[in-house]
Amino acid sequence: MLDFSLFQSHLFYLAQEAASDGGSGNFYAALNQLVNGIGIVGILLLTGLGLAITFGVMRIINLAHGEFIMLGAYVTVLMQEAFNLDLVLTIPFAFLGAALIGALTEVTVIRRLYGRPLETLLATWGLSIVIQGIVKILFTAQLKYVRAPSYISGNLTLISSTEGNPAVAISYYRLFIIAIALLLLALTTYLLYKTPLGRQVRAVAQNREMSKCLGVNTSMVDLLTFSYGCGLAGVAGAVLSALKSVSPPMGQDYLVDAWMVVVTGGVDKLVGTLAGAFIIGESNAAIAFFLNDPAARVIVLAAVIVLIRYRPEGLFTVQKRA
Amino acid sequence: MAESRDPLIRLGNIGRRKFIKYGSIAVGAGVLSACTRGESPAAGGSSGAAGGGDTVKVGVMYSTTGTIAIVEKSLQDATFLAVEQINEGKGPWAGRQGVGGKQIEMVVVNPDSNWDLYNQMSKRLIEEDQVVCVLGCYTSASRKSVLPVFEETDSLLYYPVYYEGNECSSNVIYTGAAPNQQITDSIPYCYENFGPKGFFIGSDYIYPKESNRIAKAELEALGGQVVGDEYAALGTTEFITIINRIKQAQPDFILSNLVGDSIPAFYRQYRDAGITSDQIPIMAYPTTEEEIQAMGPEYSEGHYTSFNYFQTVDTPENKAFVEEFKAKFGGNRVTNGVMEAAYLQTFIMAQAMEQVLAAGDEINTGTLREATRGQVFKAPQGTVKIDPDNYHTYLHSRIGRWGADGQAEIVFSTPAAVKPIPWSQALYKGRICVHPTPDDRSDPTQETGADLPVELLEI
Repeated sequence: MLDFSLFQSHLFYLAQEAASDGGSGNFYAALNQLVNGIGIVGILLLTGLGLAITFGVMRIINLAHGEFIMLGAYVTVLMQEAFNLDLVLTIPFAFLGAALIGALTEVTVIRRLYGRPLETLLATWGLSIVIQGIVKILFTAQLKYVRAPSYISGNLTLISSTEGNPAVAISYYRLFIIAIALLLLALTTYLLYKTPLGRQVRAVAQNREMSKCLGVNTSMVDLLTFSYGCGLAGVAGAVLSALKSVSPPMGQDYLVDAWMVVVTGGVDKLVGTLAGAFIIGESNAAIAFFLNDPAARVIVLAAVIVLIRYRPEGLFTVQKRA
Repeated sequence: MAESRDPLIRLGNIGRRKFIKYGSIAVGAGVLSACTRGESPAAGGSSGAAGGGDTVKVGVMYSTTGTIAIVEKSLQDATFLAVEQINEGKGPWAGRQGVGGKQIEMVVVNPDSNWDLYNQMSKRLIEEDQVVCVLGCYTSASRKSVLPVFEETDSLLYYPVYYEGNECSSNVIYTGAAPNQQITDSIPYCYENFGPKGFFIGSDYIYPKESNRIAKAELEALGGQVVGDEYAALGTTEFITIINRIKQAQPDFILSNLVGDSIPAFYRQYRDAGITSDQIPIMAYPTTEEEIQAMGPEYSEGHYTSFNYFQTVDTPENKAFVEEFKAKFGGNRVTNGVMEAAYLQTFIMAQAMEQVLAAGDEINTGTLREATRGQVFKAPQGTVKIDPDNYHTYLHSRIGRWGADGQAEIVFSTPAAVKPIPWSQALYKGRICVHPTPDDRSDPTQETGADLPVELLEI
């Protein structure tokens, strides 16, 4: 937890510096930026969670992760076009749709490549192009419209300025994303650590041969785990579709971020994903406040590269015996 | 099955064979999607040499995959519609069929939103497929990438996009807006109706930066002030920082040159952050009917776009264009300004080809260029003309206010098409471009140092 508190004090320092620079207006601006950085954290957590399962637990280098996010968004589009469903109600369908295609992928491609990371990498990269191509043929390349739930709109004002305008505010939709992300994190943690199935999943991840000897149906466990990871990506797609844009290449945007989150946090513990999302989201917001977004992205990406040079296992890892 | 589930990394025969198998699937798919090319179904018929035989070969170069496909696919659709109408003698081409009895044969390539591929594919179109000209490109980055190819081989590119100006090539026919047909009218409109303080945003590449630089000069010339200038990487959909800065700067209006998937994301997060169009309206150039359909009209209501064409333009030609487009591509599709430019430039090209053939000449770059100069066409936006001096196009300048139905109410329109000036007069006063007749490709720029008047097209 050391890195964590260091980071927080650093943020505090940045905020103070901003305050001394330009008076209270600037301080509120910095505070608003950091509060809204939580909005980025929610999105990172949501998109990283599925990858924490497929890569963190199963060690599959899944370069098609972004495409499963995209598929979730398109399931939402389809459900809204066909049945005029509310966005929140499309979330289970997005989960099932992405999980189903994930299961299909596992059976046809991934299953044949366990233990061969390079080949998995190539195959999933190819798969991402194929999925994008198919979606483009089915839905055209045009951006798609998703109706946002009308009851989740507006802002939560935390601090008002002297004129009564909201000085520090965060939109309800961003809070909704964070809530969904935390809910899914809790659910996943429960499934993984408190259920018999979760125990089997962890056993297979640790020692496949031994689990098999003990009567665990490893292929079924693999299938379920991979599908669940893809389903989580689908949920991310559905929830993000109303805030961002829906188009066939949209997943590419999230892929790099999701990888950064998982790699930074460490792949052994789900709490690492939360920490990774928090660190990357907030440092992005903080750096962007002083410089700009493209510069923040470059700096954060460079920092992650340095981090995995010195801590390849990420920030949160279980001590292992060689 | 049990074998392949071995957790060890295998380097044996099976592993290698499977590696090659899956690897080649992955690479093959990439190559396939990058290089998909084929003749369009609308332009069947046997292939012939350029200008000879019974077809005229024309290159169509728009990305149908990758980030910019969102826009370029629609340009390709509009081009396909125009070529179909020319070949079958429908729409504006009623009563004739093809050009001088020849069918237009399209050679369609897909540069996969990769600027280098535009360069390579345009070379291939010109040298291997021997097309007489190319219709294509959307971003300025792709135009800059192919420009050396067209200039070296002395070939013609018809480019249908509003752009930042500062260019006047003998090898490009520009059928989208020059700065004076879009920026020059919209900035005074903002200044008078919204206030003097503008906050400028855009995607991070040539066009938005240049376009904002010109707009800044225009706004400052009026006595206004740019209170913020922010750029987001192409394809960005996260606007927390920019919106926070907008809130701090409290501008009177936003000028947006965001493109592609950034547009719906920005408008949504903008309203989501609690800023309404009454408080700070957005004036945009690349936000068109298509992006508004994607974001939902509730997010764009009350914001503005400056363009040469809107789907609501009231001309019989536009009515027919919208109807025919929907009939071919689906009733839920909308038309927009870039699509209209892609449509009209195809007819301008066909008219020029007819003129060359009627004079008994062979279609090549030289004859086609001279024939394209001064072509007049009754486009959906109104009558337009290729400026014989600078190969840009006389276009209407309009400003639309987006309504609840996702369509624009036109709040400003020039009475006729405006003569294009490739260089922003706020930045380069008096600089014009006049190509010699016949064009010997010498430097066409001239410094007059004078204030150029607004010239309207008189027909």
